[in-house]
Amino acid sequence: MSAYIIRRVWQMVPTLLGVVLLIFFLFNWIGGDPAYVLAGKISNPEQIENIRRQLGVDQPYWKQLLIFLQQILTGDFGASWSTNEKVSQIFLTRLGPSLTVLVPILVLETLIAIVIALGVAYVRGSLTDRLVMVACTVGMSISLLVYIIVGQYVFAYKLGWFPVQGWGESVSENLFVYAALPVLLGLLVGIAPNTRLYRTFILDEINQDYVRTARAKGVSENRTMLVHVLRNALIPIITNVMAYLPGLLVGAFLLERFFSIPGIGREVILAVERSDFPVIKAVTIYVAMATMVINLLADLMYKAVDPRVVLK
Amino acid sequence: MTTMTASPHFVASPGLWTLAWRRMRRDHVGMVSLLIVAAFILMMIASGSGFLARDWSKEVGANYAPPTFVGADASGQSVIIPATEAGEGDVVESNVSDPIASELAELRPKPKGAVAGAGPSEGAVVDPLADIMAEIKGKGGTEAVKEQRAATLPFGADKWGRDVLQKVIKGSETSIFVGLAAALVATLLGTVFGAFSGYYGKWVDDFFNWFYSVFTSIPYLLLILAIAAVLQQKGLTTIILILGLTGWTGIYRLIRAEYLKHKSREYVQAADAIGASGNRRMFVHILPNVSHVILVQMSLHVVQFIKAEVILSFLGFGVPVDVVSWGSMLNEAQNELILGKWWQLVVAGTAMAVLVTAFSMLTDSLRDALDPKLK
Amino acid sequence: MADQDILLAVRDLRVSFRLDRDLAFEAVKGVSFDVPANSTVALVGESGSGKSVTSLSILGLLPPENSRILPGSKILFGGHNLVELSASEKRRLRGAEISMIFQEPMSSLNPVLTVGYQLGEVLQLHLNLSPKQARTRAIELLREVGIPEPDRKIDAYPFQMSGGQQQRVMIAMAIACEPKLLIADEPTTALDVTIQRQILELIGELQKRHRMSVLFITHDLAVVGEIADRVVVMKDGIIREQGLAKDVFERPQDAYTKALLLCRPQLDRRPARLPVIDDFMSNGGKAPPALAERTRGLTGKEEFVLEVKGLCKDFHSREGLFGKRTFHAVKDVSFRLARGKTLGLVGESGSGKTTVGLTLMRLHEASSGEVLFDGKDLLALSPSEMMAYKRRIQIIFQNPYASLNPRFTVGAVLMEPMIIHSIGASEEERQKMAMDLLKRVGLPEVSFYKYPHEFSGGQRQRIAIARCLTMKPDVLICDESVSALDVSVQAQVLNLLQDLQDEFRMSYIFISHDLAVVKYISDQVMVMNEGVIVEIANSDDIYRAPKHPYTQKLLASIPKGWHHAP
Repeated sequence: MSAYIIRRVWQMVPTLLGVVLLIFFLFNWIGGDPAYVLAGKISNPEQIENIRRQLGVDQPYWKQLLIFLQQILTGDFGASWSTNEKVSQIFLTRLGPSLTVLVPILVLETLIAIVIALGVAYVRGSLTDRLVMVACTVGMSISLLVYIIVGQYVFAYKLGWFPVQGWGESVSENLFVYAALPVLLGLLVGIAPNTRLYRTFILDEINQDYVRTARAKGVSENRTMLVHVLRNALIPIITNVMAYLPGLLVGAFLLERFFSIPGIGREVILAVERSDFPVIKAVTIYVAMATMVINLLADLMYKAVDPRVVLK
Repeated sequence: MTTMTASPHFVASPGLWTLAWRRMRRDHVGMVSLLIVAAFILMMIASGSGFLARDWSKEVGANYAPPTFVGADASGQSVIIPATEAGEGDVVESNVSDPIASELAELRPKPKGAVAGAGPSEGAVVDPLADIMAEIKGKGGTEAVKEQRAATLPFGADKWGRDVLQKVIKGSETSIFVGLAAALVATLLGTVFGAFSGYYGKWVDDFFNWFYSVFTSIPYLLLILAIAAVLQQKGLTTIILILGLTGWTGIYRLIRAEYLKHKSREYVQAADAIGASGNRRMFVHILPNVSHVILVQMSLHVVQFIKAEVILSFLGFGVPVDVVSWGSMLNEAQNELILGKWWQLVVAGTAMAVLVTAFSMLTDSLRDALDPKLK
Repeated sequence: MADQDILLAVRDLRVSFRLDRDLAFEAVKGVSFDVPANSTVALVGESGSGKSVTSLSILGLLPPENSRILPGSKILFGGHNLVELSASEKRRLRGAEISMIFQEPMSSLNPVLTVGYQLGEVLQLHLNLSPKQARTRAIELLREVGIPEPDRKIDAYPFQMSGGQQQRVMIAMAIACEPKLLIADEPTTALDVTIQRQILELIGELQKRHRMSVLFITHDLAVVGEIADRVVVMKDGIIREQGLAKDVFERPQDAYTKALLLCRPQLDRRPARLPVIDDFMSNGGKAPPALAERTRGLTGKEEFVLEVKGLCKDFHSREGLFGKRTFHAVKDVSFRLARGKTLGLVGESGSGKTTVGLTLMRLHEASSGEVLFDGKDLLALSPSEMMAYKRRIQIIFQNPYASLNPRFTVGAVLMEPMIIHSIGASEEERQKMAMDLLKRVGLPEVSFYKYPHEFSGGQRQRIAIARCLTMKPDVLICDESVSALDVSVQAQVLNLLQDLQDEFRMSYIFISHDLAVVKYISDQVMVMNEGVIVEIANSDDIYRAPKHPYTQKLLASIPKGWHHAP
């Protein structure tokens, strides 16, 4: 076990290095000279030279890479180009709002989708099953944007059930007042694809031999579904949920933007709009690191769900 | 006995594709979806080659002219029926830049390939519509600026009085083309990487797996936005490349798994035994046997990329402002909705929903038809 | 007494499957038979005979989406017609009165639940035991079915057990509630012959001890001969013959039954050709005249085409932080193959016999050793040098459904090796050669234009043979090549292989777990166990007087069929 963890952590090094190179390549090579971006369109060569020196982009590439690596190791990415706020500070303060919206969405949509999927898998092939599946397909096809635009207009703007946008100070106020509509809309969007996916996971299991054994033992249909089938279908479901986890750290871009929630997603969009490279770079590296750790945790978790998994 | 004498017995034997097509034909939902998708693609081609929505940018209606079935707005817009056919009274608006205008071509390092929808020469310098557009422009220029605007249009008009229906058609060109082209790029990359990785194993596999893990450690949307931030120039090529270069990972994983599975299948070992080369085994033997997976994946990714393009264009990181796409229409519609002008939102949203639904159902049918075991 | 006491009576059972929206297929067409109390009834048939469908109908386990028991069918058990019982009534019977075990023990057990949980479930369900009582009883049951250390194994997961142990767990689950009837659907087909022996003995013992009846579904007549009191022979959804085992085996009435009994290779006879079903059917049900016996074995004057010296193959897997685990799949294997003769290679699963075949052809790279062919060491050749030799050693695989590329026409399958090795001067010549070969392996010429999916398993194996013949190899490796085929088809393919050997003087390495088939076809037999060859000898000698204890154990496990039954 510990040997496994050590090896996995060791294996993260080349991946992280790859991410660093990719980001470096993007921002320092393809991205062109950031000094022009920073200085705006009207600036004299002197100013640009000054900025270049400050940013270190007048250095050769290998030196720039070293600076970048140093930033990563010390966790000090400098300040935002547009607000001068410390990048690490931005990340820490924006994480809370992002999680406030996304954690309820993830938990609720998983649970609801499992329940619906079990239900339709139970009556598979029936009219109900087909209608729910068609509804899911159509529901998935409507753009997320339409849900948000219409939802915000109808429920907040017209009906006034929720605030149109904003964010408060207390956690409970945020969770139940400001995050309520975004969460609701997130669920509306997320349940359909997950139901479809989980249904196929469950149907895959229903055709397995061990289900036939359970029936041959006289186990009731309900128990077969809830104990035998679900227990096995949970393995791919958990894999799927785990794949979403890193997304928690980058927030829900569109929801945060529409509802002015001060989360990481909104921050990233703002940074992209302002070409605020340090923020984007830092967020990308941080999230990539976190993703790797989450993936490791996920693999450790499989051990608990699936006894066949051998960590070696 | 020669082959000639055997040929009377010869009845064209159905291959797996033929059998799949026969299964597909019996699937009514699938066939209807196929027709809808085909219609959209035809519409895209027609629009791209100038047969449809050529003058989408013309302000044919009153500002925010409502759809015909709603009736004219009571707020006193003058009702004038357009006397001339579309195209005659074409006016090039200042807020809608002509894609081939020479000034623009000079300013931009790369001409955007917005109108090259029908051809594979995406992003190339040659603009297939340049001549036509120039002609139109010439005509438009000589035409009097006098305008006759309709109070209502079949599906309403936008802020400037442009026909929403025409805009949706023109927008489909961008959205569908981006979806198709990006899916093609992603599928190609994913398939080639996955094939080499799964087939050769060892260090090749290690290398591509490393590449894969690098790309998947960064959440997808974040990666796209990061690239969008870096690439300052907007345009179809850019967005296709962004989506295609980041979207191959899922296909890679699947194709790699398929190749791993097929590599140890007996028919591939038999090919090895008779002396077929590695490339022959990879591409002549295995590739056709995983082609259904590729097709289904590509179809899934078209849907995914159409959705992504709409979101990116909505955020303003997609196509340039002077190119209409469903995403930019939704962006406009967002503000219009507050004013109670809902039609642009509904029309663009519906067009997209219909296409995506049809595409998804088609994908499901494809999957069922190509792999009858899986149900 | 037993004859009067009918436990289960199946009357005019008809089952239809929906293949398509408007296409139905009747898998079982009016089947009637009885299972007397306290006896073993064997339901025998080849694939597609409807035997498994019949057994699944009894418990009501057919997939409801696409199958239907047609009206008029009766399955009488304990005064009820099972077909008409409600779902909950059926559920009360299942596992309590009638229980069932299946072919694949690995997939038939729930992979994520412990053995104790799965055993306890059935006990709590039908006997209303408390969890604690259920556990105690489960341990007793595991002990009864011969699981070592039942106190510990009860908390094991299925994947932590061997195939034999998994099947024992299935059996423990099946007998937990003292059922009156145990349905065993090919319970030993997926198991090695030594394990099969143990499981058959266990089922026999339990049947007597618990005074239950067993409905044993199998394709293997040798097994039937050992265990059955009554035999029901099925083909294409109908019963061809049924009666006491003694009558069916000694005086079979039906032509198909007769054929089935004779086309399977037997240990004590070796006709020059195996009789096939058609011989009987065309002969009005009479057995064809007995053929002369074929003598086998090496005389010592043979020329050798292939010599293998010290062949080893290791597989590596990672373990711990820096550790590597090496698994020696093949250890120091040496043998010689005579021209025009067949060398049988037998062993149980995991013995390394298939690895030997693949390594010889360099489909796997050997770890060390030499394979001398024409005085050249094949293992030392560069890939380009190897090309010239590739065509001279060919292989036929086990699974006829996987060994032909489904996207190629049969013509393309046959022409590919000719193109690669520049055999035949022109396209027309190649095509003609391919068609001649198709005729030679007994397929019509139109097959040339068809795709593999249009052929049955036996026909596909013929195509695979024809593919090898295009290259006129000196050595043909048959890796379980007839194991997946039905008995009657197996006989045809074995006859074809023998004819081709006589005609082209090819040498065969015949790899199989089926000792009877290997005995029939081989001149020499090698026995492999855990990567090592434990014994090589002429086949008659090895079967008459096995020297190595493992060989003795293996041979003792072969089902002996009716003749040797008491």
